Amino acid sequence: MEPIIEVKDLYRSYTTYRGSLRKQKITVEAVRGISFSVQPGEIFGLLGQNGAGKTTTIKMLITLLAPTSGTCRVLGYDTFGQEKYIRPRINFIFGGESGVYRRLSARDNLRYFANLYRLDPKERERRIDEILELVDLTDRADNLQETYSKGMTQRLQIARGLINDPEVIFMDEPTVGLDPLGAHMLRQVIRRLRDQGKTVLLTTHYLPEAEELCDRMVILNQGKIVATGTPAQIKGDAATLEDAYLNLIQKGETP
Amino acid sequence: MKHLFASRSHNKPPFLAESFTMPRSVILSTMILQMKQSYARNMFQFCLIANPILNTILLYEMFRNSGQENFASYVVLGSGLMAIWGCICFSSAGDINRERNIGTLRVIFAAPAGFPAIIVGKILGNTLLSLVSLLISQITATVLYQAPLALISPGYFCIAMIALVVSFVVISSILACLLTLSRRTTLYMNCIEIPFILLCGFSFPIEILPSWLQTISRCLSPTWAVELLRMSVDGVTDSSLFWHKLEILAILSALYTLFAAWLYHVMDRRIRIHASLEVS
Ligand SMILES: Nc1ncnc2c1ncn2[C@@H]1O[C@H](COP(=O)(O)OP(=O)(O)OP(=O)(O)O)[C@@H](O)[C@H]1O
Ligand SMILES: [Mg+2]
Repeated sequence: MEPIIEVKDLYRSYTTYRGSLRKQKITVEAVRGISFSVQPGEIFGLLGQNGAGKTTTIKMLITLLAPTSGTCRVLGYDTFGQEKYIRPRINFIFGGESGVYRRLSARDNLRYFANLYRLDPKERERRIDEILELVDLTDRADNLQETYSKGMTQRLQIARGLINDPEVIFMDEPTVGLDPLGAHMLRQVIRRLRDQGKTVLLTTHYLPEAEELCDRMVILNQGKIVATGTPAQIKGDAATLEDAYLNLIQKGETP
Repeated sequence: MKHLFASRSHNKPPFLAESFTMPRSVILSTMILQMKQSYARNMFQFCLIANPILNTILLYEMFRNSGQENFASYVVLGSGLMAIWGCICFSSAGDINRERNIGTLRVIFAAPAGFPAIIVGKILGNTLLSLVSLLISQITATVLYQAPLALISPGYFCIAMIALVVSFVVISSILACLLTLSRRTTLYMNCIEIPFILLCGFSFPIEILPSWLQTISRCLSPTWAVELLRMSVDGVTDSSLFWHKLEILAILSALYTLFAAWLYHVMDRRIRIHASLEVS
């Protein structure tokens, strides 16, 4: 089967300047030659320490960031240059920020985003009701977002990420800020997406969650892949995934 | 590491075609959303309401002894226009930052509707809302100075008003593109606000500027829109002159639109290569 996400020898560096008079150029190599592919219908995990390059990788996949070099393809298209074929068919959720408008109710937020994805009005209302139900916001759907708690906002963001019925959905630490019930809801949403044949790529710092959800995963360290496989393969002989993870990361740090 | 930016061959997206097929529903819904958001902000309310009142008072006092015949049109129109321009400047600088902070910037940037349609919707929302300032200037002038409502050619006034909105939207699109290329947006907006007011003749005729500055004025589309507006307020005596100015404005706006479309194309690539919009 053709992979739905294909990353080959992908690099991304950031150049920043420090100082105002004599500018000092600083280059950070955030992603340093990673390769992996994701099959349709998989739940794929991207794990790694803070600064490992997970968000950078996701941003390149969702057409927000150009690769410095290498291949980065989603649904068979280059994410830089052919983005207009990708954007209608994917969506993304970033944990820890609102991603929605304060002055609008949940329903109006979703209406607006549905509009940006060019859904037709009839389909739109049906879909909004369905998603509100899914993320358990139906009761508060007509209150302004500014009256929501953090977790409710996060649920609304999840709803926003599903509005266009995406074939591939990218989630960067989606459970941040959710209570246990909310996190459980999200895991159920993710499984349901898989049952519908959708592909999910997610990052998380919560290893049991990754182990429970992911079909396959890669572990990144300092911009490079240090392990790849099913959770069982990565765990190997270690007692838990966390032990295996710590071994991998610490091995990478001692030269 | 190989850098592919320079060598990568791109099928150039037909950026002109794209900019002319903006989905109207997206522009409209963005416009309404933007009006709600802007109106809720104190700074915008200040620009919209307090600013035209203060401007009207100041301009009235300045013009009182100027010997100008039609000073009413300079006072009311001038302070209204200054306030409109202020609203547009400060919101185009701030809106992008606000969207960035709440995390919606990357959502609207990557939406299939196209970022240009969303930018135009936002600008249109701010511009239409800011027209209220004109009304407030008139009310201030009437209440404080018993200035009568001077509007001699209402038909022409409507046309001039539409021309003004179009020219502001087009020029703000250019500014929005330039601003998203840089992070020091607020600084630049502050630098740009006053020169435009002076160069485009919002509050005094540009004929009093030295001729090299007038050349610049003539290249700025709002100058023409303002002249049309002023003609219609004072009464259009020479209708062919009105249409001639409108023609020039249309040509300038068309050129500006082409430039904005090209600029957007450049910006769209740059921000993803340099990670500068912090959508990334
Ligand atoms: N816009 C940027 N400009 C400069 N450097 C950046 C930028 N974004 C990320 N970086 C750097 O790139 C590296 C990778 O960052 P990235 O956000 O991809 O990590 P991450 O794996 O998502 O980490 P976290 O778990 O903390 O979210 C870090 O060293 C970071 O400082
Ligand atoms: Mg991250």
